[in-house]
Amino acid sequence: MNQNRRRPSNTIEVNFLARWLVLVFMIGLAGLFFVYLKNQQHSIGDQTRGIESELREAEALNASLDAKITGMTSRGALQRRLEEGYLKLEGIRDTAIARITPAQPAEPDGVLRTASHDPDSRFDTEASPRTMNR
Amino acid sequence: MRGIRSRIGIVCGLLALIFTLFAWRLIYLQVLKHDYYSGIAAEKNDRRKVIPARRGRILDRNGEELAVNIPVQLVYADGSHIHDPTAVASVSAPFLEIPVKELTQKLSTKSKYVVIRKVMNDDKAHDMIRALDRANLHGLYLEEGSVRSYPNCDMLCHVLGYVDHSGHGADGIEKMFNHELTGQDGFRWIEHDRKGREIVVYRGQEQLPENGTDIRLTIDMGLQAIAEKEVDATYKKLHPVAATAILADPITGEILAMASRPNYDPNHFGDATPEKLRNRAISDMYEPGSTFKIVVTSAAFNEGIVNQNTRIFCENGRFSFCGKTIKDHHGSGDLTIPEILMKSSNVGAAKIALRMSDDKYYDYVRRFGFGQKTGLPLPGEISGLVNPPNRWDKLTKSRMAFGQSVCVTPIQMVMAMSTIANGGSLMKPRLVMNKGEGDKMEAPETIREVISKKTSSFISQALVTVLSDQGTAALARVNGFTAAGKTGTAQKISPHGGYFENRYIVSFAGYLPVESPRLMGLVIVDDAPLSESMNYGGAVAGPVFSQIAGQAVRHLDLEPEAGSALMQSANSGSKSASLR
Repeated sequence: MNQNRRRPSNTIEVNFLARWLVLVFMIGLAGLFFVYLKNQQHSIGDQTRGIESELREAEALNASLDAKITGMTSRGALQRRLEEGYLKLEGIRDTAIARITPAQPAEPDGVLRTASHDPDSRFDTEASPRTMNR
Repeated sequence: MRGIRSRIGIVCGLLALIFTLFAWRLIYLQVLKHDYYSGIAAEKNDRRKVIPARRGRILDRNGEELAVNIPVQLVYADGSHIHDPTAVASVSAPFLEIPVKELTQKLSTKSKYVVIRKVMNDDKAHDMIRALDRANLHGLYLEEGSVRSYPNCDMLCHVLGYVDHSGHGADGIEKMFNHELTGQDGFRWIEHDRKGREIVVYRGQEQLPENGTDIRLTIDMGLQAIAEKEVDATYKKLHPVAATAILADPITGEILAMASRPNYDPNHFGDATPEKLRNRAISDMYEPGSTFKIVVTSAAFNEGIVNQNTRIFCENGRFSFCGKTIKDHHGSGDLTIPEILMKSSNVGAAKIALRMSDDKYYDYVRRFGFGQKTGLPLPGEISGLVNPPNRWDKLTKSRMAFGQSVCVTPIQMVMAMSTIANGGSLMKPRLVMNKGEGDKMEAPETIREVISKKTSSFISQALVTVLSDQGTAALARVNGFTAAGKTGTAQKISPHGGYFENRYIVSFAGYLPVESPRLMGLVIVDDAPLSESMNYGGAVAGPVFSQIAGQAVRHLDLEPEAGSALMQSANSGSKSASLR
């Protein structure tokens, strides 16, 4: 049979096609992976922003509470509360004070002494009026 | 077949051309016009977000907080994100406490940064943003900030100062250490989405803030509270123009307390008048009166012009000199140096001064620190007024001896009296313990040795007698302690020349315990409306010193001295004591 009279046929080059398909698939996969990673990045970024925001709010709350505590325990505020009767000053008994420096015992001479741990008054149940004056 | 091939060729060619055009367009946009379009994008979406530095706190020597920060939010609008100003205004107005109409006007802008409210409570601000989110509205954003708060209100106000509305220190320590307290704001370049939320992935350059340094003062708030209470009581009871008290450590020069009246609340500094804002401890000068006698007596003794046995004839209280008469409250004959101080004899002090050369006397006045600023780190300190000898008239030297013709500041007087107390060294006053270094205390700084230890000891013993029954300051005694000090009573200078009648600035400067001084105190009461017979340093300022020092020694836990109560028995002989 004459070669020129053969019916033309379109052969599929499977190897060639497979190579390209694999390449396109790989590129596609890489693209999808890239998009996935990018989404992950954004998602983690949002989480980071959320956590940072929470931290900031916690810090601000902490600072705010600190300021409130400082305000409520300031000398002026305590003095005011003392005057209003919400607080009361209680004298410290001689027996409840331990001194590292040598004791200066309270003398009945009407002279105010610094707080001292007087062994003689260890078992006194009544606080010394001088101590109460402190 | 040829026709098909040519058609395929044309289509392919066209496709190639189209893709070439697309490619060219891409290259044009992405490469050639990269800077232009990225600039536009950045302008629209990029922002330099400031990360504010925390202002440093101010603490007392024991770490008690005197100035702190309260976090607040600044609310700003980005007009480019607001599509419906009325809707945004109606949701946010109740939180912002701004009328809807006014807020709508503010929000109808294309500007990207319009401050809507500078200070807003943190919780309230976040509630507002949540409410806007729920309504799917955008355009209002928050910026972190803080406001300064002084928990002790008016206590120590003149030392602390305050910060103005822009957050800068405007007075006191806040002003002098503004740079250290402020720190350095950080920043971060951020890109945000159309809702204004930061896209964390595209974070740009970032610099963390450097928070301000905490400033720790030498002030002891325990002592400050005592001084404030007593000064306040004096101010309310006697109604003077002003009252001042300073407590210091005479050995190291540390200022432990500084209180003045009138005063103000730095949390509401806008309500304060200039009179209230003035720190009188450093910015007021006054004629010291008899407290200044310590200078002439110390100088003369140190120079050997007088000694323990020197007796000065005090002219029975009336000494005519250069056509003027110098008077004493109680006339005396011959007096020793301690007796001159004890009885506060003007004649005796003037006669001692006249024995000294002008230059030598002036030199001592300067060496005691008068006529120059002490260097306390507070704004507005003045140097007082001490004229050099070439500007003196014939009377100046004699008058300076008992504290006239010279003007000093309270802090100068404290440091001069400390010189007597500590053995003769003029110390540099210190108000700042450290800058963010915990409990570290820098070594005391001696400016100069003014007098010898022998002289200081001699004058110190003489000043003890001032608080004796025969002295002028019996009411300044402190139970259980031997104190030394000197009263001062000076007529107020009239701005029209001369002196006011019956208007006095009275003072008492003293220290204790004499043998090893721990506490130096000065009390000044300016122009209390009292009768002339009552308005003396010993009668007005002395008792205030006694009250302050009595409580202060217990606060400092100083041990009383054996026998001191007998030596300076409180109030026992006060009836016979002179009060000048």
